Amino acid sequence: MSEMKQADAARGPRLGGQGLSKSFGPLMANDRIDFVARRGTIHAIVGGNGAGKSTLMNILQGLLTPDAGTVLVNGAPVAFRSPNDAIRAGIGMVHQEFTLIPGLTLLENLILGAEPRRGLGAIDRQAAEARAAALAELAGVRIDWSLTEEDAPVHMRQAVEILRLIYRGADVLILDEPTAVLAPPQIRELLALMRNLREKGNTILFISHKLDEVLAVADEVTVLRSGRVVVSRPAEGLDKAELARLMTGEPVEAPTAKPALPGAAVLELDRIGAGGEGAVAFQDFSLTLRAGEIVGIAGVAGNGQDEIVGLVSGMMPAARGAIRLAGQDITRHSTRERRALGLAYLSPDRKKEGLCLDASIADNLIASHQHKPRFAAQGFLKPRAIADFAAERVAAFEIKCASPRQPVRALSGGNQQKVAMARELYDNPRVLLACQPTRGVDIRGIAAIHEEILGFRDSGGAVLLISEELEELVQLSDRIVTIYSGRITGEFPRGGAGMERIGRTMLGEVAA
Amino acid sequence: MITEILFSALVMTTPLVLASLGGLIHRSSGIVNVGLDGMMLLGALVALILASGGNWAVALVGAALSAGVAGWLMSLGITRLSANEIIVGLGLNIAIAGAVRFYLKAAYGSSGNLRLPDVSRLPKIDLPLPGPFGAVLSGHSVLTWIAWALVPLTAWVLTRTALGLRLRACGTSAVSSAAIGLHPKRMREGAGFVAGALSGLAGAYLSIGVVGLFNEGITGGRGFIALAAFYFGANRPWATAACALLFGIFDAVQIRLQGRGFPAELIQTLPYIMVCVVLLLLGLAARRRAEGKAASHG
Repeated sequence: MSEMKQADAARGPRLGGQGLSKSFGPLMANDRIDFVARRGTIHAIVGGNGAGKSTLMNILQGLLTPDAGTVLVNGAPVAFRSPNDAIRAGIGMVHQEFTLIPGLTLLENLILGAEPRRGLGAIDRQAAEARAAALAELAGVRIDWSLTEEDAPVHMRQAVEILRLIYRGADVLILDEPTAVLAPPQIRELLALMRNLREKGNTILFISHKLDEVLAVADEVTVLRSGRVVVSRPAEGLDKAELARLMTGEPVEAPTAKPALPGAAVLELDRIGAGGEGAVAFQDFSLTLRAGEIVGIAGVAGNGQDEIVGLVSGMMPAARGAIRLAGQDITRHSTRERRALGLAYLSPDRKKEGLCLDASIADNLIASHQHKPRFAAQGFLKPRAIADFAAERVAAFEIKCASPRQPVRALSGGNQQKVAMARELYDNPRVLLACQPTRGVDIRGIAAIHEEILGFRDSGGAVLLISEELEELVQLSDRIVTIYSGRITGEFPRGGAGMERIGRTMLGEVAA
Repeated sequence: MITEILFSALVMTTPLVLASLGGLIHRSSGIVNVGLDGMMLLGALVALILASGGNWAVALVGAALSAGVAGWLMSLGITRLSANEIIVGLGLNIAIAGAVRFYLKAAYGSSGNLRLPDVSRLPKIDLPLPGPFGAVLSGHSVLTWIAWALVPLTAWVLTRTALGLRLRACGTSAVSSAAIGLHPKRMREGAGFVAGALSGLAGAYLSIGVVGLFNEGITGGRGFIALAAFYFGANRPWATAACALLFGIFDAVQIRLQGRGFPAELIQTLPYIMVCVVLLLLGLAARRRAEGKAASHG
């Protein structure tokens, strides 16, 4: 580390901001932000949801013009008018949604727009392959360049996204939550790749809320909170608790789970066969969920999570086998019949599937309960009863809003999710199918949602938890089941295995 | 008998290959062109008018340019005015059919048909090949050979050149392509011109290559058969040409069967029905393959 520091000292500022401010209406998204990322360093930008990270990145990319302040390139003020200006200044960004083009090979994606050529506009394939190989070596990754975008595994696509920026002349790489889509072993590879690129003199802006990863690679850390810089300092000497405190302003304690007291089986998937035709194929898939326990499904995205959700919720038919809810065969039941029997479902896509964003909080809270006697009589809704119920739920779940008549769209991600949660947990469901319950939710919201899930379990509910956040699974689950390509590859009791081991079974290694 | 059918199959296939390659290029750029038939009709008329007392080469250039401009304008409507591609394509067909009818009436006082003096027909190329090869391959028009030469050329441009790569990229993801500095709209407009120009050549082949006159039903819906060909060809030039050839063969068979006691109207529907049947079977086979693949994964 000490040699690192010496080298750093000799390195000048590459990209920075001075007094950058940007407001949207009354909201000050960025408030006089100062920071400097020095050449050849990894500079982490850390903050919860709504801290102002995206606004800052959009300014640095030339997508937004700051109201005040200036972007500094090599220490000198510049005014980006478009993303092209940023690209010309050597700044490139990898977004959370990848931009590689399907149908093209990784090599074609790499060279697209700046193809090495022979005569007649023909692509010089040999030159392209040589440059690709050189880039992969530089980054220390193995890439099969002949794979098409859709066939390449996610970490390879991500590496190409990053290398493509370098190919096109960028030496400042902005990586937005790059590890969100990866399993632990791949995360380690990515962090190694970042270090390799840093050694070659590239500057990396690492946007993340995963504190372990930040502490593992960052040379310097800028913490944002409510649009302001809380601190911008070397990473050395920072620890996780301190960083979490800086992000949230006060210590956040993870809810501690009481030991589970599992009761009778409430949800059984019995030798299910399903899938194929674009979906992950399931054969003889069996899983039992008991009352009073949380079972977590861990797997890299696309290994059967969507199918499990579809099978349990009733949106995807099972070709073979049986699904039982509280002893009753529900294999052929519609989603509505399943809900009537006590199934609750927290959708991974709350914007499209979980909520109706343009409807009011109250309407969202009674959706799917609207026919029940409390809310309707003789086919007419009872507005006063609904208003009372909404006020009660808003208070009980601490949903921050001006009024239950507000559209759900006006709420933050965490509060939206609380609305969905409040609706799903109404009327004593037996089973909660919770899929990515804290996606796009800030630290404080996460804690509240986790508490609700644990509370539901403690009151005898069964939870099937599907999440891409391994940390969340480990924290909440009484049992973790790992899946790979539609098969169960391992099962771990609470505290039964480290994340590394779980991560390996997520990649197909069968646990002994 | 067989050689005669194959010879006329190549004749019937020529306009389809041209138009379907145009549609393939346009589709690769991201637009499904439903207006091929109208642009073919325009090309057929322009070619006949220019070839009358003139020169077939000038007629070809004129047909390609006029229909190319039509294709370009159609693309502009889609890229700049955000019009729906299906509606614009269908509208273009109707608009061109109407304009052609009006023009024939206004300029020549004729309804539907146009016969002009001294039409310079497309030259035919005689090949000194022995026996059946000569019977099938000799005596075709230059445009037939151009059409078939365009198949590998299109394949080469699409897969091996920077232009083709960019075209495919823009066709698959306009947003991602624009993000790295490409111009998807211009790409689509350019491809629209090419689609129009090739359809115009297809039309010219019908009017000054095959019959030497114009009639408002001259395309016989071939623009839509071309649509089916490039759709099932799935952006692969050779597969697209094979689909076109399939229709050409049925068309040639149909012509042979006429005058043999079958009702002509019924026989004329044969190629269209057979194309539907064959494409349906191909689709089912592809689906079965996909299912088999999925099952073996489990």
